[in-house]
Amino acid sequence: MNTITISNLRKVYGSVAAVDGFSLEIQASSVFGLLGPNGAGKTTAFKCMLGLARPTSGEILYDGRPLQPATFERISYVPERSVLYEWMTVNEHVEMNRRAFSSFDAGRARELLAQFNIDTHKRARVLSKGMKTAVMVALAFARNTEVLILDEPTAGLDPVNQRHVLSLMINEAAKGNSVIFSSHQIGQVERAAEHIAVMDRGRLVLEGLVDDLKADRKIVEGIFPNVTYTLDGIANDVRVARADRTERIVRLVVTEGADEIAARLSRAGAAGVRVLDLNLEDIFLYAVSPATATADVVAKESSS
Amino acid sequence: MPAVLTVDPRSGVPIYLQIIEQIRRSVALGILQAGEQLPTVKQLAIDLTVNPNTVARAYRELERERVIETSPGRGSFVRPDGVAESPKVGVEIGRGALNAALREAKSVGLTRNEVRELFDAGLERWFATEEA
Repeated sequence: MNTITISNLRKVYGSVAAVDGFSLEIQASSVFGLLGPNGAGKTTAFKCMLGLARPTSGEILYDGRPLQPATFERISYVPERSVLYEWMTVNEHVEMNRRAFSSFDAGRARELLAQFNIDTHKRARVLSKGMKTAVMVALAFARNTEVLILDEPTAGLDPVNQRHVLSLMINEAAKGNSVIFSSHQIGQVERAAEHIAVMDRGRLVLEGLVDDLKADRKIVEGIFPNVTYTLDGIANDVRVARADRTERIVRLVVTEGADEIAARLSRAGAAGVRVLDLNLEDIFLYAVSPATATADVVAKESSS
Repeated sequence: MPAVLTVDPRSGVPIYLQIIEQIRRSVALGILQAGEQLPTVKQLAIDLTVNPNTVARAYRELERERVIETSPGRGSFVRPDGVAESPKVGVEIGRGALNAALREAKSVGLTRNEVRELFDAGLERWFATEEA
C-alpha cells in the first residue's frame, strides 16, 4: 500500500463537527505523527480512516481506492481505549486474533508480549492501563499489516516500554509499512515521526516534515532601547506567523527567512537581536494557541 | 560504527543535520576511518529510534558532500578522499562555532576590541603550547 489520501473529510455528530474539512496525504515507509489538543478530532479522523465512522462528506482513499472489506485486512488499529474483553485471558485474545485474521502471527504475538513482560495467563480485568496498551500493541504488530493506525500507543507505559513501542514502529517503517500514530507526548513524536500534522478543532493547522519545520521556523527576538519604537511593517511580513511584544522586547515567530528578518529588526533599531531554534513542542504550541488579543500583542492567524 | 552517534530529538536542530554533523566530526577526528563501513539506514534508524527516512536523508547529503559513498547491496562507507577532506570539515566546524559566538557577542553589544581581547585570551588558554 503506498499512500493514504484524505480529502476534505468532515464528520458531524449532531451539531458538532468533530472533523471539519481535513485533507492530508500519508506516504508509505514512514512514521506519521498526528498531534492535537484533546477534542481536536484525531480519534474521529482515525475512525473514519478505519471505516468505523462514516464520513459526513469527503473521502479517504487507500492507493487511490476507497475502503473495501479487503482493505481492512491490511490495516491494524490500536484504539485509545481498551477493547480487550475483561473476562478473557491474554492467551485467549491471542487465539481469538489468530482465528480472526489470516495474517496473524501468534508466535510473534507471544514474543512481543514476553518483551513487554505480560503474564499471558492473566485476564484482561486484572491488567493495568499500561499493560492493556502493551497487549493491544502486541496484537496489532503481530498482524503483519501494511498500515498501522495507533491512537496513543504508549499511554500508561513506562519509559522502557514506550521506547520499545517506538522501536517497533521504526521497524515497520523500515519494512516499507505505514505507521500513523497520535500521542500527547510530543517528545516521542519528535523522535520517531518523519512527518507530522497538527489538528485543532477538526482542522489541519500545520503539516510538514519535522526536520523541515525545525529548519525553517525560528524565533527572532530583539530588544529596543526604549518603549517608543516602530516595527516598520516587519510584523506584517507573510513570513512572520506571529508577533508578540512586551514593552521593549519583540518576539517574532517566522516560517522562513529568519536571518533576513533579524537584519530588518536590527535596522529598525533593535539591539540584542537573536535567532532562536524551536523544538516541536514550541512549534505545536504556537500552532494551536491563538495569540492573546491584548493591546500588547500583534497577532496574526497562522496561515499554514 | 562506534557508539558515538546520538541524537537529541528535543533540540531545535533537525535530526538529519545532527546525524550529518556527527558523522562529519567523526571522520574529521579519525573516529571513522577511510573505507570504514557505516551502519545500514535501517540499523541506524533502529539504534537511534528515529525514522529511517531521516537517516536516509542524512546519508544522501553526506554522499553529496563526498564524505561517504554507498554501493547498492554492499552498504555505505567512508570515502578514502572523505578523510582527505576532513581538515576542511574541521575548518567548517570551527567556522560555524566561531560565527555563532561572534553573533552572540555582537548581540550583547560588545565592541570589536572587546571581542578581540576575549579571542586572544581564548587563544592563550586553548593554544598555549602551540607556536603562533
